[in-house]
Amino acid sequence: MEITMKKSISYTLMAAAALMAASVLFSSCEKVSPTGVLIGNTSVDDRVKQSLVNFSVLEVAWDKYLADTIQEYSFLVGSDSHITNDPGRLEEMLEIGIENDDLFFCHLGDLADTKAEYYNNTEIAIEDATDEWMDKYLKPLVKEDGGIYQDTTLYYDPRTDCVYRKDKHNIFPTALPFYPVVGNHDITHNGWALFSRLFKTSFYEFTVRVICDNDTAYDRFIFLDSANGTLGSYQIDEIENGFFQRDNKKIRNTFTFTHTNIFRPSLNEFASTYCREELYYILDKLADWNTTIAFWGHVHAWDERDFGGVHHITMPSMNFVDHPNGGDDLLVRVTVKKDGSYKMERVGLHSKERTKEELKEQGYSVIGK
Amino acid sequence: MSFLKRLALSSLLALSMGTTAMAQYYSGEHTFDGENKNEVSASVTTGKNIITGPCIGNTLHYRHYFDSHWSVDGGVNLQYSKGLYGFKAKGQYHLKIKSFHMFASGEYMFNHYHSYNTNENVGNLSLRFERGYWDITLGGSFIGYNMMGDHYTEPVTLTFGAHATLRPRTNKWNVGLLFRNFDDFYYENWNINWGLDFYYKFNPTWKLFGEFNVRPAGSMSQLASKYETTGKVGVIYRWK
Repeated sequence: MEITMKKSISYTLMAAAALMAASVLFSSCEKVSPTGVLIGNTSVDDRVKQSLVNFSVLEVAWDKYLADTIQEYSFLVGSDSHITNDPGRLEEMLEIGIENDDLFFCHLGDLADTKAEYYNNTEIAIEDATDEWMDKYLKPLVKEDGGIYQDTTLYYDPRTDCVYRKDKHNIFPTALPFYPVVGNHDITHNGWALFSRLFKTSFYEFTVRVICDNDTAYDRFIFLDSANGTLGSYQIDEIENGFFQRDNKKIRNTFTFTHTNIFRPSLNEFASTYCREELYYILDKLADWNTTIAFWGHVHAWDERDFGGVHHITMPSMNFVDHPNGGDDLLVRVTVKKDGSYKMERVGLHSKERTKEELKEQGYSVIGK
Repeated sequence: MSFLKRLALSSLLALSMGTTAMAQYYSGEHTFDGENKNEVSASVTTGKNIITGPCIGNTLHYRHYFDSHWSVDGGVNLQYSKGLYGFKAKGQYHLKIKSFHMFASGEYMFNHYHSYNTNENVGNLSLRFERGYWDITLGGSFIGYNMMGDHYTEPVTLTFGAHATLRPRTNKWNVGLLFRNFDDFYYENWNINWGLDFYYKFNPTWKLFGEFNVRPAGSMSQLASKYETTGKVGVIYRWK
């Protein structure tokens, strides 16, 4: 009887310990959803279905980068900004890009932690940069006869022949060419609703028109949704059904952007979370696309390697928690030259996190005293 | 001696022999039963995953027990729909520590992913602790792969698993729950495989076994999408 009692107590204690360990594992970080053990937040299939509907509208607005008349163009890549009260690092990235005349910005996900206030702050950062960008580059669209359009929200970028509509209440697609992918921290706690309100889509592409061998060609930019550690069956079906070959364009360079990493920078960082067959599927697919550079985020650490003819860049994070004093190498700028070759450089971020009082005064949504 | 006395004495003798045998040999799942040194298992796995859709395949294992401590194991995996073909070799040492059973194992596994012309080499060192109703596994995996003329070796990855059963491990039948980041023919990083398993021993030489597995994609806060669901059923035959 005593042995049975001891056994029962021992099993109960072990079960309690296991439950406690599970609780700590799945809920100690508020961004880790305790409901995500088996079934959690938005699935990648749902996001991709929604994204494709939105993309069918956005595609017209995006596929207008005409760089065939310029010597070279550049784009700036950042990752894992995890915006909370202070979106300062994103603001700094956008300012640097505008100052440097980068054609567009790419972000590898985990843009903001999933609270409405943090997305409000992200929206402020995007809107402020949009104003700055428009002031620098855009001219009001005029008719061929010199007349003014009745619709005063239409603007024109003489660098690329792009026409934009500026509407404060619907900031995307506005002028600012900011292209994010969704990360796992963007989807917890119903974060997809916040992310998609601003950015609409997690699976998309656009091209930049260039000249290659005296012929019109395109540099293709592919954005994949891997926030769940998988592309999911719906996205894979779209890829296999030729989503990126549907227009039969002559492609010069292909650049891909997604959140979940393949390569593990070191023993100290998380390993890839793609299941093994999917990992090999993705590497094979990138090689099929003749990908020039594949960008990955998620692990907050730098890794650079060539594999299967593809240059792989895993990006460090740009947030205040990991880098309170900033760093000289938190962003990457890729400059694509007229002959199709590219140059890559690391770019620093050095802004300091503002106090909550400062942020409140400047109109940001602040959580905590 | 009366009939009742003889019955009581013989029962006591049989019981003591059984107890002695149990003390010497741990006749739990996949362990030496004290008599049959050879074991072969064959199984069919079928299910659905996001890469290939429906999938079906076979596995075949042979194990030889040298004694109650040492055993070696070889296996072949043929997943036709996935185009995944592999084999493995494993050595295991079994030690009884008080009421625990500890298994230290070393394994080499090779997988060829035909669709991507990828060869994967995996080494694993693990310790498994067992008691009557549960077991846990801890270890490290060394995974390298070759594809498109390039090679990548992943930094060592933690191997972990836990399994609890409804009945004692030595029971004629059992049903269990498991979670782990490995299976007979893969070692994952942080992708956890959740499953329900069962077995039924027809007699000391024949056993039916099976598993139902769900592999969610991603890990922790990424979890929301399923990668694969499979069912496996097979038989184990033991002989001297």
